[in-house]
Amino acid sequence: MGGTDSKAEYATLVRDAATGDRDAMERLLIRAQEVAYRFSLLVCGHPEDAEDVMQDALLKTYEHVGRIDDPSAFRTWLYTTVRNACLMKRRRRIGEPTSFDPVDPVRVVDPAPSADERLIEQGMDRRLRAALNRLPPAHRMVVVMREMDGLSTKDVAAVTGLSEANVKQRLHRARLALRRDLEQR
Amino acid sequence: MSEPSSECAAILANVSAYLDGELEATACAAIEAHCATCSSCARLVEGLRRTIGLCRHAGTVPIPEDVRARARDSVRRLLDDRARGG
Repeated sequence: MGGTDSKAEYATLVRDAATGDRDAMERLLIRAQEVAYRFSLLVCGHPEDAEDVMQDALLKTYEHVGRIDDPSAFRTWLYTTVRNACLMKRRRRIGEPTSFDPVDPVRVVDPAPSADERLIEQGMDRRLRAALNRLPPAHRMVVVMREMDGLSTKDVAAVTGLSEANVKQRLHRARLALRRDLEQR
Repeated sequence: MSEPSSECAAILANVSAYLDGELEATACAAIEAHCATCSSCARLVEGLRRTIGLCRHAGTVPIPEDVRARARDSVRRLLDDRARGG
Protein backbone atom coordinates (compact mmCIF):
# COMPACT_ATOMS: atom_id res chain seq x y z
CA MET A 1 0.00 0.00 0.00
CA GLY A 2 1.29 3.46 -0.84
CA GLY A 3 0.48 6.76 0.78
CA THR A 4 -2.56 7.77 -1.22
CA ASP A 5 -5.36 6.57 1.04
CA SER A 6 -8.17 9.06 0.90
CA LYS A 7 -9.32 11.32 3.68
CA ALA A 8 -12.71 9.56 3.58
CA GLU A 9 -11.11 6.12 4.04
CA TYR A 10 -9.28 7.37 7.12
CA ALA A 11 -12.47 8.94 8.46
CA THR A 12 -14.37 5.63 8.10
CA LEU A 13 -11.60 3.72 9.87
CA VAL A 14 -11.51 6.32 12.66
CA ARG A 15 -15.27 6.10 13.21
CA ASP A 16 -15.19 2.30 13.31
CA ALA A 17 -12.12 2.20 15.56
CA ALA A 18 -13.71 4.68 17.97
CA THR A 19 -16.69 2.33 18.43
CA GLY A 20 -14.41 -0.51 19.51
CA ASP A 21 -13.90 -2.31 16.19
CA ARG A 22 -10.51 -3.96 16.78
CA ASP A 23 -9.92 -4.76 13.11
CA ALA A 24 -10.50 -1.11 12.14
CA MET A 25 -8.22 0.06 14.96
CA GLU A 26 -5.51 -2.36 13.81
CA ARG A 27 -5.69 -1.17 10.21
CA LEU A 28 -5.73 2.48 11.27
CA LEU A 29 -2.68 2.05 13.51
CA ILE A 30 -0.76 0.20 10.79
CA ARG A 31 -1.55 3.00 8.33
CA ALA A 32 -0.44 5.61 10.84
CA GLN A 33 2.91 3.84 11.12
CA GLU A 34 3.25 3.56 7.35
CA VAL A 35 2.70 7.31 7.02
CA ALA A 36 5.30 7.87 9.76
CA TYR A 37 7.85 5.61 8.05
CA ARG A 38 7.48 7.19 4.62
CA PHE A 39 7.45 10.75 5.93
CA SER A 40 10.45 10.16 8.15
CA LEU A 41 12.44 8.58 5.36
CA LEU A 42 11.41 10.75 2.42
CA VAL A 43 11.11 14.15 4.09
CA CYS A 44 13.50 14.07 7.02
CA GLY A 45 16.05 11.77 5.40
CA HIS A 46 17.01 10.02 8.63
CA PRO A 47 15.94 6.40 8.29
CA GLU A 48 17.43 5.68 11.72
CA ASP A 49 14.69 7.92 13.21
CA ALA A 50 11.87 6.12 11.42
CA GLU A 51 11.30 3.44 14.07
CA ASP A 52 10.93 6.05 16.84
CA VAL A 53 8.62 8.22 14.73
CA MET A 54 6.52 5.14 13.93
CA GLN A 55 6.24 4.26 17.62
CA ASP A 56 5.24 7.85 18.42
CA ALA A 57 2.55 7.75 15.71
CA LEU A 58 1.29 4.42 17.02
CA LEU A 59 0.83 5.55 20.61
CA LYS A 60 -0.51 9.02 19.82
CA THR A 61 -3.00 7.67 17.28
CA TYR A 62 -4.24 5.05 19.74
CA GLU A 63 -4.76 7.69 22.42
CA HIS A 64 -6.29 10.21 20.00
CA VAL A 65 -8.91 8.01 18.31
CA GLY A 66 -11.34 7.97 21.22
CA ARG A 67 -11.25 11.77 21.51
CA ILE A 68 -11.84 12.73 17.89
CA ASP A 69 -14.81 15.03 17.25
CA ASP A 70 -14.31 15.28 13.49
CA PRO A 71 -13.05 12.04 11.86
CA SER A 72 -12.55 13.85 8.55
CA ALA A 73 -9.80 15.90 10.23
CA PHE A 74 -7.87 12.79 11.27
CA ARG A 75 -5.49 12.63 8.31
CA THR A 76 -4.41 16.26 8.82
CA TRP A 77 -3.91 15.54 12.53
CA LEU A 78 -1.79 12.46 11.71
CA TYR A 79 0.54 14.31 9.32
CA THR A 80 0.89 17.18 11.80
CA THR A 81 1.79 14.70 14.54
CA VAL A 82 4.32 12.88 12.36
CA ARG A 83 5.83 16.16 11.15
CA ASN A 84 6.22 17.36 14.74
CA ALA A 85 7.84 14.06 15.79
CA CYS A 86 10.35 14.41 12.92
CA LEU A 87 11.07 18.02 13.91
CA MET A 88 11.69 16.95 17.52
CA LYS A 89 14.17 14.37 16.28
CA ARG A 90 15.97 17.00 14.23
CA ARG A 91 16.18 19.39 17.18
CA ARG A 92 17.62 16.67 19.41
CA ARG A 93 20.24 15.90 16.80
CA ILE A 94 21.61 19.46 16.83
CA GLY A 95 24.57 19.63 19.20
CA GLU A 96 25.24 15.92 19.15
CA PRO A 97 28.93 15.15 18.79
CA THR A 98 29.96 14.40 15.24
CA SER A 99 31.48 11.01 14.71
CA PHE A 100 34.82 10.99 12.91
CA ASP A 101 34.99 7.22 12.65
CA PRO A 102 36.42 6.60 9.20
CA VAL A 103 34.38 3.46 8.61
CA ASP A 104 31.44 1.73 10.18
CA PRO A 105 32.68 -1.81 10.83
CA VAL A 106 29.14 -3.19 10.91
CA ARG A 107 28.53 -1.96 7.40
CA VAL A 108 31.76 -3.47 6.17
CA VAL A 109 30.83 -6.88 7.58
CA ASP A 110 27.13 -6.72 6.73
CA PRO A 111 26.39 -4.38 3.82
CA ALA A 112 22.61 -4.45 4.32
CA PRO A 113 20.74 -2.29 1.81
CA SER A 114 19.89 1.19 3.09
CA ALA A 115 16.27 2.21 3.67
CA ASP A 116 16.51 4.27 0.47
CA GLU A 117 17.76 1.31 -1.53
CA ARG A 118 14.98 -0.84 -0.17
CA LEU A 119 12.32 1.69 -1.23
CA ILE A 120 13.95 1.74 -4.66
CA GLU A 121 13.89 -2.08 -4.77
CA GLN A 122 10.17 -1.88 -4.02
CA GLY A 123 9.66 0.22 -7.18
CA MET A 124 10.50 3.85 -6.42
CA ASP A 125 12.42 5.58 -9.21
CA ARG A 126 16.08 5.86 -8.19
CA ARG A 127 16.65 9.20 -9.97
CA LEU A 128 13.52 10.69 -8.39
CA ARG A 129 14.67 9.59 -4.94
CA ALA A 130 18.06 11.26 -5.50
CA ALA A 131 16.44 14.42 -6.91
CA LEU A 132 14.07 14.61 -3.93
CA ASN A 133 17.05 14.43 -1.59
CA ARG A 134 18.55 17.48 -3.28
CA LEU A 135 15.43 19.61 -2.66
CA PRO A 136 15.25 21.84 0.42
CA PRO A 137 13.37 19.91 3.16
CA ALA A 138 10.50 22.44 3.18
CA HIS A 139 9.91 21.80 -0.53
CA ARG A 140 10.41 18.04 -0.18
CA MET A 141 7.69 17.96 2.50
CA VAL A 142 5.17 19.64 0.20
CA VAL A 143 6.00 17.27 -2.68
CA VAL A 144 5.63 14.18 -0.48
CA MET A 145 2.32 15.23 1.05
CA ARG A 146 0.77 16.78 -2.05
CA GLU A 147 2.06 14.61 -4.92
CA MET A 148 2.85 11.28 -3.32
CA ASP A 149 0.36 11.03 -0.48
CA GLY A 150 -2.46 12.90 -2.21
CA LEU A 151 -3.27 15.52 0.44
CA SER A 152 -5.13 18.58 -0.81
CA THR A 153 -3.48 21.99 -0.91
CA LYS A 154 -5.75 23.00 1.97
CA ASP A 155 -4.66 20.02 4.09
CA VAL A 156 -0.96 20.61 3.36
CA ALA A 157 -1.47 24.23 4.41
CA ALA A 158 -3.08 23.06 7.66
CA VAL A 159 -0.20 20.67 8.41
CA THR A 160 2.58 23.12 7.59
CA GLY A 161 0.99 26.37 8.79
CA LEU A 162 1.58 27.92 5.37
CA SER A 163 -1.04 29.75 3.33
CA GLU A 164 -2.54 27.79 0.42
CA ALA A 165 -0.85 30.24 -1.98
CA ASN A 166 2.50 29.46 -0.37
CA VAL A 167 1.93 25.71 -0.62
CA LYS A 168 1.18 26.11 -4.33
CA GLN A 169 4.25 28.27 -4.84
CA ARG A 170 6.53 25.78 -3.08
CA LEU A 171 5.06 22.89 -5.02
CA HIS A 172 5.56 24.75 -8.30
CA ARG A 173 9.20 25.54 -7.49
CA ALA A 174 9.83 21.99 -6.31
CA ARG A 175 8.35 20.53 -9.50
CA LEU A 176 10.53 22.80 -11.65
CA ALA A 177 13.63 21.85 -9.66
CA LEU A 178 12.83 18.13 -9.83
CA ARG A 179 12.20 18.28 -13.56
CA ARG A 180 15.47 20.15 -14.14
CA ASP A 181 17.37 17.68 -11.96
CA LEU A 182 15.82 14.63 -13.61
CA GLU A 183 16.56 15.91 -17.11
CA GLN A 184 20.17 16.82 -16.33
CA ARG A 185 21.17 13.37 -15.06
CA MET B 1 15.05 27.44 -30.78
CA SER B 2 12.96 30.60 -30.39
CA GLU B 3 13.78 33.26 -27.75
CA PRO B 4 11.62 33.16 -24.59
CA SER B 5 8.77 35.65 -24.94
CA SER B 6 6.38 37.22 -22.42
CA GLU B 7 4.03 34.38 -23.34
CA CYS B 8 6.74 31.89 -22.31
CA ALA B 9 7.05 33.69 -18.95
CA ALA B 10 3.28 33.40 -18.48
CA ILE B 11 3.45 29.66 -19.24
CA LEU B 12 6.22 29.21 -16.68
CA ALA B 13 4.15 31.02 -14.05
CA ASN B 14 0.96 29.08 -14.74
CA VAL B 15 2.11 25.64 -15.76
CA SER B 16 1.48 24.03 -12.36
CA ALA B 17 -2.04 25.41 -12.21
CA TYR B 18 -2.55 24.17 -15.78
CA LEU B 19 -1.35 20.66 -14.96
CA ASP B 20 -3.44 20.60 -11.78
CA GLY B 21 -6.57 21.47 -13.75
CA GLU B 22 -7.01 24.77 -11.94
CA LEU B 23 -7.13 27.04 -15.00
CA GLU B 24 -10.21 28.03 -16.93
CA ALA B 25 -10.75 26.57 -20.40
CA THR B 26 -9.66 29.74 -22.22
CA ALA B 27 -6.37 29.89 -20.30
CA CYS B 28 -5.76 26.19 -21.01
CA ALA B 29 -6.43 26.74 -24.70
CA ALA B 30 -3.97 29.66 -24.76
CA ILE B 31 -1.24 27.48 -23.21
CA GLU B 32 -1.91 24.65 -25.65
CA ALA B 33 -1.87 27.04 -28.64
CA HIS B 34 1.43 28.53 -27.45
CA CYS B 35 3.01 25.09 -26.92
CA ALA B 36 2.03 24.11 -30.46
CA THR B 37 4.44 26.75 -31.74
CA CYS B 38 7.05 26.93 -28.94
CA SER B 39 9.10 23.76 -28.56
CA SER B 40 10.78 25.04 -25.38
CA CYS B 41 7.48 25.51 -23.54
CA ALA B 42 6.12 22.25 -24.95
CA ARG B 43 9.17 20.44 -23.49
CA LEU B 44 8.66 22.20 -20.16
CA VAL B 45 5.02 21.15 -19.95
CA GLU B 46 5.78 17.54 -20.95
CA GLY B 47 8.77 17.36 -18.60
CA LEU B 48 6.68 18.56 -15.68
CA ARG B 49 3.89 16.16 -16.58
CA ARG B 50 6.38 13.26 -16.48
CA THR B 51 7.87 14.51 -13.20
CA ILE B 52 4.44 14.71 -11.57
CA GLY B 53 3.64 11.22 -12.90
CA LEU B 54 6.84 9.84 -11.36
CA CYS B 55 6.01 11.44 -8.00
CA ARG B 56 2.47 10.08 -8.03
CA HIS B 57 3.73 6.61 -8.90
CA ALA B 58 6.20 6.85 -6.01
CA GLY B 59 3.22 7.42 -3.71
CA THR B 60 1.92 3.95 -4.61
CA VAL B 61 5.18 2.15 -3.79
CA PRO B 62 4.58 0.02 -0.70
CA ILE B 63 6.85 0.18 2.30
CA PRO B 64 9.18 -2.84 2.71
CA GLU B 65 7.35 -5.94 3.91
CA ASP B 66 9.56 -6.41 6.97
CA VAL B 67 8.81 -2.84 8.12
CA ARG B 68 5.11 -3.49 7.62
CA ALA B 69 5.37 -6.77 9.54
CA ARG B 70 7.09 -4.99 12.44
CA ALA B 71 4.37 -2.31 12.41
CA ARG B 72 1.69 -5.02 12.50
CA ASP B 73 3.42 -6.75 15.43
CA SER B 74 3.70 -3.47 17.38
CA VAL B 75 0.01 -2.78 16.83
CA ARG B 76 -1.05 -6.25 17.98
CA ARG B 77 1.18 -6.07 21.05
CA LEU B 78 -0.29 -2.68 21.96
CA LEU B 79 -3.90 -3.78 21.46
CA ASP B 80 -3.39 -7.06 23.36
CA ASP B 81 -1.67 -5.19 26.17
CA ARG B 82 -4.47 -2.59 26.45
CA ALA B 83 -7.13 -5.32 26.23
CA ARG B 84 -5.52 -6.93 29.30
CA GLY B 85 -5.73 -3.56 31.04
CA GLY B 86 -2.06 -2.64 30.53
